[in-house]
Amino acid sequence: MPIEFEDSSDTLRTIRISGRLDLAGTDEIATKFAALATAKDRRVIVDLTGVSFLASIGIRSIITNAKSLQQRGGRMVLFVGSNEPVAKTLEVTGIDSLIPLFSDLSAAEAAVAA
Amino acid sequence: MNRVGQDALQTAVLEIRAAVKDVRVASDWMTRFAAQHAVPESQINRLDLCLNEALANVISYGNAAALSEPVVLHVAVNARQDLREAAVTVSDAGVEFDMTRAPINERPHSLDEAKPGGLGLLMIRRFSDVLTYRRHNSRNELTFSVQWVSASDQAS
Repeated sequence: MPIEFEDSSDTLRTIRISGRLDLAGTDEIATKFAALATAKDRRVIVDLTGVSFLASIGIRSIITNAKSLQQRGGRMVLFVGSNEPVAKTLEVTGIDSLIPLFSDLSAAEAAVAA
Repeated sequence: MNRVGQDALQTAVLEIRAAVKDVRVASDWMTRFAAQHAVPESQINRLDLCLNEALANVISYGNAAALSEPVVLHVAVNARQDLREAAVTVSDAGVEFDMTRAPINERPHSLDEAKPGGLGLLMIRRFSDVLTYRRHNSRNELTFSVQWVSASDQAS
């Protein structure tokens, strides 16, 4: 499965995405990602540690869902672990200044709960 | 004869359709070729990002000609110089569009201000070391390359 989730509480959800987030890969998960990410008042950690490739279409999907979540009173953070290529893509495009980005899971959990 | 001299310039050509399904065909082909010719993984990843964004641009914004005519890909790995280089050219039959001159959206200051779009252009410019464009035979030819110093060159 390229996308799965785990609810740690009524408000905290972790969404794990894996594989290539290129045109085809993003299209494959788009509907499920939106459904999982945009619940009211939800705090969401998007785990990108298993993403092998992140194209702009994948970033657009993340931004769209983060905005939608924020408009519903929720918050999204990104967790990349030691996935340097994905972290670099997010930094180069400036997404890390719009959606908090963490390499440490406990820091991501603390930030999304704050 | 010097082996490096013999194998200095390696090239390959592939024709694909301007279709989502063929983007991965192109990625796999480029990745395999570059790896066979000792392009480091980190450099292949940069080329792959540029290739995906260039093809996504053709597929998303191309006119009927761009979508109906084949997209021609040319890859070259040049090991002749101390500075190694791998380059990919994407040739499409769409309307003239020079990615090297197109304006890049201003970076948003907040998530509320963020608009989808424009990131592909930014990524191609940031992940390539050299980016060139020409209009040739009624086709767009975008070439992006990455450069690196090989480990053996650094050690010597």
